[in-house]
Amino acid sequence: MLGGARDWLAGLGLGEFGATVVLGVALIMGFLTFNVLFLIWLERKVSAHIQRRLGPMEVGPHGSLQTVADMVKLLGKQILTPVATDKFVYILAPVLVFVPTLCLASLIPISGAEAFAELPYGLVVLIALSGISVLAIFMAGWASNNKYAVLGGMRSVSQVIAYEIPILLAALSVVMIAQSMNLREIVMAQARGVPFILLQPVAGVLFFIGITAETNRAPFDIPEAESELVGGFHTEYSGMRFAMFFFAEYTNMLVLGALGATLFLGGWLGPWLPGPVWLLLKAYAVVFVMIWMRWTFPRLRFDQLMSFAWKLLIPVALVNLVITAFAVGGGR
Amino acid sequence: MTIVRRVWVGAKSLLIGLGVTGRHFFRKPVTLQYPHEKPDVSHWGGPIELKTFPETGTHDCIACNACTRICPSECIDIEGKRPEGSKKMRATKFALDFSTCSLCGLCVDVCPTDTLQYSQRYDESMYTRPATVNDLLKPFGEDPYLTGKLT
Repeated sequence: MLGGARDWLAGLGLGEFGATVVLGVALIMGFLTFNVLFLIWLERKVSAHIQRRLGPMEVGPHGSLQTVADMVKLLGKQILTPVATDKFVYILAPVLVFVPTLCLASLIPISGAEAFAELPYGLVVLIALSGISVLAIFMAGWASNNKYAVLGGMRSVSQVIAYEIPILLAALSVVMIAQSMNLREIVMAQARGVPFILLQPVAGVLFFIGITAETNRAPFDIPEAESELVGGFHTEYSGMRFAMFFFAEYTNMLVLGALGATLFLGGWLGPWLPGPVWLLLKAYAVVFVMIWMRWTFPRLRFDQLMSFAWKLLIPVALVNLVITAFAVGGGR
Repeated sequence: MTIVRRVWVGAKSLLIGLGVTGRHFFRKPVTLQYPHEKPDVSHWGGPIELKTFPETGTHDCIACNACTRICPSECIDIEGKRPEGSKKMRATKFALDFSTCSLCGLCVDVCPTDTLQYSQRYDESMYTRPATVNDLLKPFGEDPYLTGKLT
């Protein structure tokens, strides 16, 4: 069916390459939109049930269409641009925050045979791209010309710089065992042995903490700490531009959850069900734990957040990496 | 060793916290979906109303004004009329100004014919001050004693 759609698009004068790109973007965008709507609904439901409430119940069965209604509302809103903003950067930021997550989603291998884009050094590209969205967040904070937005943007940058390192080091210890930076090879290495969470529990925990911080989720949500910074970097954004930040945040959660599932939980591997379903199940399990954590833990203070990363996570990750290196080298 | 110990204690406390929220996640929500579900108000005392007695099919207010006299907020206003050939008065007006009523229940206690009771209305709203005055005779319509259907 997909081949037919591609041929039809190629017939419209797009060419083979153009048709593949259009189809891929449409598929990923379609799924990601659905995912964002689902995740926001899930977040509200989980938070409600943790607080012994019911959450959205009115629109659709168990409120399942509530987020669709919200999206329609956001689409219909007037787009405001505050007077004192740096217009070009202000408008560019919500677009730029969204593009890397789209690229990231295409890099995850969804089954033994399929990935939208496969690279020999996929892991490096993934981690490099995930750093770009923080640039967009800082652009948003800076261009808003608002002190709270700038503070939020600055916090976001310092946080992501600190937490990228344990993510990288944790991923690196997986790479050492798998002997590859290709995500498909890493999953295949787990197919031959056990999921890496069993070999690398410390790296798994570090990676999870890192992605929680990187997606600006509680307890590491200081860039948008409502009680201190109004809305943080997106204070001055409204309507669909605000929705883009929201979209990017929830997409990031799923993509990094899927990356965690690929690195530590065996990716698409699993009995009975097809590969993409397993990958999604594992990714959503990771995302569920992130939501669960958000509604359990209070926010860290900024200096605690920094010292947690630099004084604890990075040393532990380094020690873990060295031990892994010796273990892998000794095993030869 | 202290740093290892502190990390261990901290991580344990985080897991305990997750356990608390996780337990609550599976418990029954306490929300009442209000317009669809009504709360149990059988013990609720709302604005007073006149009881309907099954023998006569109507209230038994004799306009004795006992409630008017005992009311600390002076929010009850009653007028009565004696039907022809009867010894008992019948109320022709029973107005309760609910904006000053404190729901103390003295009128319910003092009523000699036991025809006053708390209603179970709890979700009333109005836009004007005159609308807070409840006409307690309104649900009864035409009075059977005054029209001579009952004696």
